[in-house]
Amino acid sequence: MFEILEHTADVGFRARGDSIGDLFANAALALEAIAADISGVEEKAMRPLSAAGEGLDELLVNWLNEVLYYLDGERFVMKRFEIDELVPSRVSGRGWGEPRDDGRHPPRLVVKGVTYHLLEVRRDGGLWHARVILDI
Amino acid sequence: MVPIEPIDEMRHRIRRDEKRGMRTDVVVYASRALLDQVRKDLSLEQAMNVATLPGIVGPSLAMPDIHQGYGFPIGGVAATDYEHGVVSPGGVGFDINCGVRLVRTTLAESDVRPRIKELIDRIFGDVPCGTGGKGGLDLTAKQLTEVLERGAHWTVENGYGEERDVEFAEERGCLAGADPGHVSDRAKERGRRQLGTLGSGNHFLEVQWVERIEDPQAARVLGLEAGQVVVLIHCGSRGLGHQVCTDYLAQMGAAMKRHHISVPDRQLACVPIRSEEGQAYLSAMCAAANFAWANRQAILHRLRGAFQKVFGAQARLSLVYDVCHNIAKRERHRFEGRTVDVLVHRKGATRAFPPGHREIPADYRTIGQPVLIPGSMGTASWVMTGAPGAMEETFGTVCHGAGRLLSRTAAKKGHDAREVEKRLLDNGIFVRSESRDGILEEIPEAYKNVDEVIEVVDRAGLARKVARLRPMGVIKG
Repeated sequence: MFEILEHTADVGFRARGDSIGDLFANAALALEAIAADISGVEEKAMRPLSAAGEGLDELLVNWLNEVLYYLDGERFVMKRFEIDELVPSRVSGRGWGEPRDDGRHPPRLVVKGVTYHLLEVRRDGGLWHARVILDI
Repeated sequence: MVPIEPIDEMRHRIRRDEKRGMRTDVVVYASRALLDQVRKDLSLEQAMNVATLPGIVGPSLAMPDIHQGYGFPIGGVAATDYEHGVVSPGGVGFDINCGVRLVRTTLAESDVRPRIKELIDRIFGDVPCGTGGKGGLDLTAKQLTEVLERGAHWTVENGYGEERDVEFAEERGCLAGADPGHVSDRAKERGRRQLGTLGSGNHFLEVQWVERIEDPQAARVLGLEAGQVVVLIHCGSRGLGHQVCTDYLAQMGAAMKRHHISVPDRQLACVPIRSEEGQAYLSAMCAAANFAWANRQAILHRLRGAFQKVFGAQARLSLVYDVCHNIAKRERHRFEGRTVDVLVHRKGATRAFPPGHREIPADYRTIGQPVLIPGSMGTASWVMTGAPGAMEETFGTVCHGAGRLLSRTAAKKGHDAREVEKRLLDNGIFVRSESRDGILEEIPEAYKNVDEVIEVVDRAGLARKVARLRPMGVIKG
């Protein structure tokens, strides 16, 4: 679904999905997993998520920014995502999780932002791939 | 491999005709050995991309601590013409006004070392890393607006500090031109509970002692002497600054199209300084910078409390200086015989004005602006002062640290946190961190040798060595 990548000053991930929607859901999950140990997260509440952008690159970055805002601003950690609608200019979906509790979801890295550095969103055969570098 | 030619022992050049779109040369400040390390990542390509920015004045500059960033290299400097050039939020970065604050104490190494564990534990309790969302001052919306407008002045006036503190911060702890109206609600929400917290990543607080004085006269002016205990604080604008960068980067794609600008790397996105978008970003950036100064001031206040709880009233703490190393500032410089009005982007680079400059606090004006260069955890940090060479060559700028060598993942490989803690302890350094991973990611081997970096800066005439500092207690965010 996703793997963590190395980068001199930062950290990144590679995500995959059977569909573009799957890819966006898995990328969101990768971001959560880099920020905290999400194995203990319970699906107690849902947050509607949406983002807009020109083209898939911008859309993915803005989508992850939306997820990051909940993580760091509202302090709501999610462990499952569903995409309801995705066109190249707009994405909307939902995420399930609960308010962050460092005891049960030990923090890993504080993600400052999602970058365009070495960003990649592409379809290869039947599979969608993305590479994203985060500033930490 | 990027073709690079030596200018002299400490300077190297990449010519502007090496890549399409470059408007100017790249000048790299590095020794041979450092240059070999720099070549291993994408930082020189990134410095070449910076050379394509519209309105760039003088070369795209790379400091000896340069390493790969995103868009700009970290350790990259670019001055752009204020009337006809661009501003690039990526040239400031996500952590707006990440910076360093040096505090001197009235204590000696021999007073503190026997009680270092007690002191670090106390500071760890009083100056939270804040990554769990707790421990910061809980500001009302009105208070946060005041913080964004007034920076460190707000903190001091509200009882978190001494009046003199602001005198010794770059810009006196507040950039004019901040407009909280250009900071989004999301940014405000991310920062509202984080004032007075350290953050994580490479941010830290170190209790250090002055190991060696290189310039006795400058040291005397700064109130530093061998064996004295000092504290170095490294942190920035926390979630508020990160969100400001995110918000403006998101707008840049469409704005660049409107202004017919294209750049080789989307992370270099930029708009004309004089455009509505450019001015909005700069006013939000100033607000975030002010938040960072208010934050470092609140940390100083909490630090004073922690020292006094352990050592009593004899422990007096005074601010030596506070520098920001992620910022874009409007400055006037001499360039090719004329005065230029430029926006100096310092991405992981420190202002270093020479003696006599009016921006330097009156007490320090004869020696030059203090420049604070933290090394990696467990090695050494340096105090320098700005020299005339910086004004002549680098828009009054030098490096900001040792510069990363290994990725965080690579740093962790083959090491065990307990072993690293023990090794540091054997060297007289007691470390506390929110997470064991935090210690591993910042192991000394992950960074270049700070002494080599400083040597380049000193020998190139950009800044002068004043004192070498050694840690004895470290708090890692």
